Amino acid sequence: MAFSGALTLTDLNDYITPAQACIKPVEQTNRIEQDPGAASTQIHIDSSGSYYEVSTDTKSVATTVKKLEQAQISLNDCLACSGCITSAESVLITMQSHTEVLNFLSSNPSPLCSSHKSPVLSIAPQSLASLATSVSSTSSAPTTTLHQILRRVQAFCTSVLGFDHVFDTTFARHIVLLEHTQEFMERRSGDNSDGGKLPMLASACPGWVCYAEKTHSEMLPFISRTKSPQQVMGTLVKNWMGRNWGKKLSEIYHVTVMPCYDKKLEASRQDFYSELYSTRDVDCVITTGELELLMREKGWDLSIPVPGEEGEVSPSIYPSSPPPPLYPGSADLHPPRGGETFGLNGEEPPAHTSSAVQIPELLSHPGTSSGSYLHSIISALTLSHPFPLELSTRTVRGADYEEYVLTNPETGEVVFKGAKCYGFRNLQNVVRKVGREAGVQVGRGAAGRMVGGRVRKVGQKGGVNGVNGERERGYDYVEVMACPGGCVNGGGQLRPSVRAQVEKKTDEEGYERDWSGSGVKVGVGMDDGETNVQGYAGKWGDKDWTKKVESAYWHDLPTPPASPALESSEVKINGHGRSTREADRYAAIVLRDLCEPEILSGGEGLTWETHMGAIAEEKRRLHFRTQYRAVEGEVIGLAVKW
Amino acid sequence: MMDIDVPGHIEKVAELEGHDDRAWCVAWNPTKPVLASCSADKTVRLYHFSKTDADTENPSVTFVHNTTISTGHTKTVRSIAWAPSGTTFATGSFDSNIGIWEQESSDEDDEMHGEGVKTGEWECMSLLEGHETECKCVAYSTSGTLLASCSRDKTVWVWEVHPDADFECMGVMMEHSQDVKCVAWHPTEEILASASYDDTIKLYIDDPSEDWFCFTTLTGHTSTVWSLAFSPNGRYLASSSDDCTIRIWERIEQHKWECVKVIEGQHERSIYSLSWGVGKRRGDDGKGEFGGWLASTGGDGKINIYEIYEPPSSSDPKGREPPTHTLIATLPSAHGVHDINHVSWCPRQGYEDLFATAGDDGIVRVWRINLNGQ
Repeated sequence: MAFSGALTLTDLNDYITPAQACIKPVEQTNRIEQDPGAASTQIHIDSSGSYYEVSTDTKSVATTVKKLEQAQISLNDCLACSGCITSAESVLITMQSHTEVLNFLSSNPSPLCSSHKSPVLSIAPQSLASLATSVSSTSSAPTTTLHQILRRVQAFCTSVLGFDHVFDTTFARHIVLLEHTQEFMERRSGDNSDGGKLPMLASACPGWVCYAEKTHSEMLPFISRTKSPQQVMGTLVKNWMGRNWGKKLSEIYHVTVMPCYDKKLEASRQDFYSELYSTRDVDCVITTGELELLMREKGWDLSIPVPGEEGEVSPSIYPSSPPPPLYPGSADLHPPRGGETFGLNGEEPPAHTSSAVQIPELLSHPGTSSGSYLHSIISALTLSHPFPLELSTRTVRGADYEEYVLTNPETGEVVFKGAKCYGFRNLQNVVRKVGREAGVQVGRGAAGRMVGGRVRKVGQKGGVNGVNGERERGYDYVEVMACPGGCVNGGGQLRPSVRAQVEKKTDEEGYERDWSGSGVKVGVGMDDGETNVQGYAGKWGDKDWTKKVESAYWHDLPTPPASPALESSEVKINGHGRSTREADRYAAIVLRDLCEPEILSGGEGLTWETHMGAIAEEKRRLHFRTQYRAVEGEVIGLAVKW
Repeated sequence: MMDIDVPGHIEKVAELEGHDDRAWCVAWNPTKPVLASCSADKTVRLYHFSKTDADTENPSVTFVHNTTISTGHTKTVRSIAWAPSGTTFATGSFDSNIGIWEQESSDEDDEMHGEGVKTGEWECMSLLEGHETECKCVAYSTSGTLLASCSRDKTVWVWEVHPDADFECMGVMMEHSQDVKCVAWHPTEEILASASYDDTIKLYIDDPSEDWFCFTTLTGHTSTVWSLAFSPNGRYLASSSDDCTIRIWERIEQHKWECVKVIEGQHERSIYSLSWGVGKRRGDDGKGEFGGWLASTGGDGKINIYEIYEPPSSSDPKGREPPTHTLIATLPSAHGVHDINHVSWCPRQGYEDLFATAGDDGIVRVWRINLNGQ
């Protein structure tokens, strides 16, 4: 159960497969070297439940009694292992759940108290799409937009739960896409100081990262080091916004709403924990389903509109305590520098309203609903290439596995080859393909690996022939997501309600069918081509439902500006050039504030592609990149059950 | 001493020793006179067989050890399956890997031995990794284009065979809630069945635009389902279980299977293996369509052979009759006091009465059904 889709809370049982060792090595702090033939010991338990190791050596005069340390299993240990799945996992999962959020909110001291934490919530666009689909399916109202759902979530979280701020994560994703593209360009140019290899694989999916760390550690050098949108959102909220609010990291409590259970695991990684402030970038992750559960518990009907949900941010959303402005003049954390006069591409920083922190909302990144990582790289390559490039796509097997090739039509040269690869099955094939092309020994079974080199290398075909060589060209980039259909089909998303399923009168292909009447016996060997089966609803969710969530995700794409923009090609590729340029300016502000580059010579404007000084580049890596490590994978089955 | 009045008896044809640990599985090459066995000693043994004494009515079959393959698997080789081409076989191991094996050509192949048996060394051409725990069973589809595997990690995988021993993962099904013991392919269609520790049987088909998926679950067994066998014409599916019964399921619609027969009282312990061969028809007594011979074996060390007759096809759905089964041969303690892990009929023409068993004693035995009066 490395992926959240298979982790269903109702599927728990206490069957522990025999001899499945826990992968977490018990760290023995005081390792005593035992003599050969040393006396054995016994374990005693006293009335308080503590464990004692008692020597059974009758010859010894002094009987040694030693208290044993209790082993600790945390959430990230258990979620990373697909071994013994017991009800204990449900206990661990409740440590990161909506109950935890409610407990924090109720026990949070008042804003006047020094230990008060400012609660902030960030919600993923896929979660908004899931909520919108659920609202549309259960009410007679017309289709609800993500914008409307965001306003309703904001109203619920601020007025009912008491959050100070509610954001969506698309601006964080914008930064991720900029950094992701930057990292890809570094690898392409051979600047692999981090040890990164090509093809670069996407890193935003914690299910994939966790699986690679556990089972395919040879894939780790290929995975991008860029943080995911959730973790960059954590960086923005605690480091950047906190600085502008005049608050320390520990004075903010950050909750995210995600379509995925594995995001809980991601948030709890040690890389995203600040020892200095004893706090995490994301304190708690709840799923779309858990947020919906919260709303039902509080009696909030998400299908009822809230005032002003059609427009932009309304000051009335923050009625209780308006936060300080974005640039407080009296803040000591970031005093303005007198010599700082650079503008961003010659434009003045946009004026900020004094009512709330402003970041661009619901940015649309053309490509995939899982984040458009591949398409962003394709866009960047197209923009930076001196000649116009031609993009062709090929469906390998369904919508979950597609290849994208950029070609220079003048010379026929293939400039870039990438793939979008969703779902565990396709992931297996990409791992094998990448490993084969890179000459990496792919994988090891959880129970061991083949001894010696009995696996003969199959010769690479068509290497000499130029045409075959082009056809066999490996990938430069793969957008990997663990869930079939991508994040809109994440394990934490809402599932279709019973009422929605009962009302379905047509089969999977949209035709009405008399199921009970189609009882004609089919002879052996005869095949009428019917492959649809009544009542099919796979473990990875109803496919019709997933398509609706995907449709809701793209539903309210804003219309491109009517007047022709200055950079028409950018508008054509990005689809929404004005919003993208605004987001780029905000991203540059974030980069400047967090990385504090030296003053650039010549008045050159700061962009995400700018190479700042060494110290500033180091800060960029610290804030926007992470690392991975292999999980100890050798499980010794002492008594294998056959 | 024969204490049951049955029309036939089981004769031993060969006793193949050599494995250092229990023998798990036997597999007959579909195109060549080769028998393969795999064992907890991590090896695969290949035997060549041929008929002798062609003059007599009952020619005997001689088995000669051909080679022993040290697979390189780090744990038990639990399952072995030949590709329909007969040039490749797959091994499933408790080390969670699947090995794909092909034979090298050697200089001695110019002078062919017997019916074209090569003498080159067997090489592992490909290693399929993906299962997280022990692989329990591997099976090729009849067309040879697909390979199925199942594991203690509760998953069933379907691989597509590509050139140069390359495989592409076509589906990972996580339908079972426990250890999956067995996978079996329909003889004529790409329908896959799996049997599990969760007492169920699941059937899968391919959705061309998406993934393989489970289209039905067969329930009825009250304990682990160990083995599955489709009838030669694909109309029936037999399953055996820890509950000491054999269930026969009939395909009554395109995607609907129903249990039409329960055979009980014939085994005292778990029934670990089933094999449904084409068999030989005894006389023409007009019982209906001859449905082949079903062999069963298990923890009680007994081998049972049932003769199956299918009812005439009827257009009345409610009046459906179950197939008839007759115990035509039985042999207790076929491997002494040891469990028998696998039974398999020889698929080659002219050998319809020949089958092999693998037991916990590490021995592979080959048997023939002798119908009294023949």
